Amino acid sequence: MAELRERDAKILMTFPVTASSHLLAEARARGAYAALDKALRTMTPQQVAKEVLASGLQGRGGAAFPTGRKWAVIQYDDGQPHYLCANADEGEPGTFKDRWILENSPHQLVESMLIAAYALQVRHAFVYMRGEFSAPFRRLQGALDEARAAGLVGENILGTGFGCDIMIYRGAGSYVCGEASALLSSIEGKRGYPRNRPPRLTVKGLYQQPTVVNNVETLSNIAWIVQHGAEAFKAVGTPKHPGTRLISISGHIARPGVYEIEVGYRWRQLIYDDCGGMQHGAALKCVIPGGISTKVLTGAEIETLNLDPAEVEPAGSSMGSGGMVAIAEGTCMVRLLQVMLRFYHHESCGQCTPCREGMGWLHRLIDRIVDGQGRLDDLDMMARISRLQDGNTICGMGDAAGYATLGILAKYRHEFEHWIREGRSMYEGNLECRRSS
Amino acid sequence: MPQIFLDGQAFEARTEQTVLQVALEHGVFIPRLCWHPKLSVAGNCRICVVQVEGRSWVEIACNMPVSEGLRVLTDSPLVREHRKATMQFITLNHPVDCGICDKAGECTLQDYHVAFNGEASISREPKVQATKFHRLSERITLDNERCILCTRCVRFTREVSKSNALGVKNRGDHSLIRPAEGDDVRLLDDDAYSENIVDICPVGALLSTRLLYKERVWYLQATPSVCPGCARGCAIDVWHRKPEWKLRTLDARHNTAIVRVTPRDNPAVNGPWICNKGRDLALLLERPRADAALRKGRAVALDEALAAARELIGRARHPVALVSSWGSDEELAALDDALGDRFTCFVKDDHLPADGEVVEDDLLIRADKNPNGRTARARFGHQALQFAPDTDLVLVWGEGCDFGRLPRGVPVIFLNAFLAAENGHAEVFFPTSVHTERDGHFTNADGVRSAFSRCVDRPTGVVDAERVFRALASVPAGVAP
Ligand SMILES: Cc1cc2nc3c(=O)[nH]c(=O)nc-3n(C[C@H](O)[C@H](O)[C@H](O)COP(=O)(O)O)c2cc1C
Ligand code: SF4
Ligand code: SF4
Ligand code: SF4
Repeated sequence: MAELRERDAKILMTFPVTASSHLLAEARARGAYAALDKALRTMTPQQVAKEVLASGLQGRGGAAFPTGRKWAVIQYDDGQPHYLCANADEGEPGTFKDRWILENSPHQLVESMLIAAYALQVRHAFVYMRGEFSAPFRRLQGALDEARAAGLVGENILGTGFGCDIMIYRGAGSYVCGEASALLSSIEGKRGYPRNRPPRLTVKGLYQQPTVVNNVETLSNIAWIVQHGAEAFKAVGTPKHPGTRLISISGHIARPGVYEIEVGYRWRQLIYDDCGGMQHGAALKCVIPGGISTKVLTGAEIETLNLDPAEVEPAGSSMGSGGMVAIAEGTCMVRLLQVMLRFYHHESCGQCTPCREGMGWLHRLIDRIVDGQGRLDDLDMMARISRLQDGNTICGMGDAAGYATLGILAKYRHEFEHWIREGRSMYEGNLECRRSS
Repeated sequence: MPQIFLDGQAFEARTEQTVLQVALEHGVFIPRLCWHPKLSVAGNCRICVVQVEGRSWVEIACNMPVSEGLRVLTDSPLVREHRKATMQFITLNHPVDCGICDKAGECTLQDYHVAFNGEASISREPKVQATKFHRLSERITLDNERCILCTRCVRFTREVSKSNALGVKNRGDHSLIRPAEGDDVRLLDDDAYSENIVDICPVGALLSTRLLYKERVWYLQATPSVCPGCARGCAIDVWHRKPEWKLRTLDARHNTAIVRVTPRDNPAVNGPWICNKGRDLALLLERPRADAALRKGRAVALDEALAAARELIGRARHPVALVSSWGSDEELAALDDALGDRFTCFVKDDHLPADGEVVEDDLLIRADKNPNGRTARARFGHQALQFAPDTDLVLVWGEGCDFGRLPRGVPVIFLNAFLAAENGHAEVFFPTSVHTERDGHFTNADGVRSAFSRCVDRPTGVVDAERVFRALASVPAGVAP
């Protein structure tokens, strides 16, 4: 593969984190709210939306839907109330990158949301925050209080006549409430059941009004795009997938954490250079690229790949939510899948038949295999259940669990067969990476 | 009017319709469990999947808007595969205890299992167990193992009866239908329409507590009728034992009893719903019955009673009739024909709202608790009851008359279906039939005329009011026999 230019542009993690770097004064010193000023004073809502469309920004919540196209459905001047919701539910296992923004750069989100609210003519915007987030909540609430005191949130922002309030709504620990429509139901005070489409949320969303739901990271790019222009944004990353991605990496990696990479960055470089390779010098067995709902790629597969959807997708997976899990050689994939299926079973909202019943089925089935009661044709049954959930559920969760199962079964079937035949794990059921003695 | 194609055949659709609605309107079969014509689309059961031609995936028909030229397959191999899978998913944790389920014989799940799956369970895992007899309200028992979580019942209480009594508790395959507020059954107890959820439950999860294990539906037959509970006059089916399954050993009342009452969809009157009072028709009609004609409280043959009544009428110069608002259109006409000229007639409310009964609401229940007041008043006027001082005979037809307020010393001819002390106080008494024992019509408050049919035979000794009126006709005024 031809060595590309050094891909080290940063959009979000542009400053050293200190005890006070999240505060308004320091954010302003770094240039925060200049883009808001620019948008409100020199641009029409339409121009802002056009700029975002031109930037090619894609959703960072998992599905990579083009943000500008989502916004374009909203007629900013149709006189109806519109709503904007930042999705800060961050429920996808392995994902903790939005948390970095909320804790360390909350004003970037607030400013970006205000610009988005201006473009979409939103008076009331919401942040739907994962219930377990307490420090991120305090930081964001603090930022909102600071911004309100400074006349940046509320009525008549910066004296321009534009007003917008941002409210934080805290979830109660449901994974599915991160799904955009379930999130809106939850804000409405209803059970967090995802909704059928049509209607799209941009047509009938929160309180049946046109609503945009964007991931925290997606939105946080907006201020930068408005400040530097769509062209500058497109110069970062690749033309098809512009910008950077926050990657939260965990698992058996030496230096887990959140890293901002430019799209097209070398995967090897992230794992071996930036993150210091695997714990205890172990070999890399496989990687879950972007949240456990994306298909696993083996160590060999990622060897030559760049972190670019245009390369990851043809390899059969996706960059998903940026929640990367690096898994060391010696890890038992049967146990890993068991843990994942326990999660899906626990989190299925229970609304639609295939997911409600299928998740429990898969979970009980793998439990039985782990109990030593498995049969070889159980593996075909697992594949069949996964396949039949796919595409026949209200939200993406049915599909996601299916992908995860099919991905691991396809690549590590021999580990399952071993367990079924021998009644025990090929790797002693290991999920931890142990120091080899 | 967009044109769409179902399995290659063209159909005219209306813009606001879904593919499922078009299909049902034109008799193209698409199965559905959670979808109900009067409830919002939930799209959760996934049995109504169809395939748009050229696509490699399935979508649900209940939420698919029509568009010009849309081409949909309702029975492709992929559709069949997904339907079968959905049935397998649904029955995964279903106890399949049809043998002891009241719904057996009229259960959508049974029908669809035969139609789309037909296999034993392919699962080797133990089933999830759940509550079998959960008291959801005074009237309704819930079997959570049979529940397929279609949420029809929940949506009914939110969208139709508006009691918001039910919700879903827990997640995933541990989800349970439960009272929406804690475990408080009062919301559903107070829902005057609650028992409709027993009908719309596509499986045997919601059960009428009163009927639990009492009957098998295949021994029953439904006769179209009209609920007399209020001036809405809901179209109902009265279920009673099929004559060919007549019981010879147990209590003979089983053979004539009203086992249950269900709504019979009539868009002009009640749609697919009725209120709980309609369900309790048996309580209303199976009160102890009068079964002998009386003369001053003494049982006499019908002919003797008729002769006595004719004599009273013949003697009277200023007779007054209190007309039953429970009389059918035919009976009212018969009274009018026979005695309308001779009597000053006042229409009487046979029933008034009972204690604790919902008086009126904006769904079905009307304040007038009589089925045929409209026709009665159209015939006999709206004037309030007033006895002229020279009143010399009173004919009382039906319940709801306070005998203490009748003029003193004036003889009374009384027609009533039920046992009551007043029966014996009358000069002449006729035991009459109730409407489930004859054919006829009621016209509801909005002027919609509905037919009812005879469900069971009249008990011996009981006579139709119409026959009494005809027999009393043509008695000339003021002529002593
Ligand atoms: C089961 C499920 C869970 C989800 N959880 C999240 C989440 O925690 N955070 C998030 O941003 N998006 C989540 N999504 C994706 C959202 O539905 C939605 O696509 C996203 O918020 C849109 O934002 P974007 O276009 O900016 O990516 C989830 C989707 C599904 C199906
Ligand atoms: S796919 Fe699963 S999580 Fe999503 S709506 Fe259906 S049951 Fe709920
Ligand atoms: S009880 Fe019946 S109507 Fe209610 S959700 Fe369950 S299956 Fe559906
Ligand atoms: S609304 Fe009136 S007519 Fe209808 S079922 Fe109830 S009582 Fe009977």
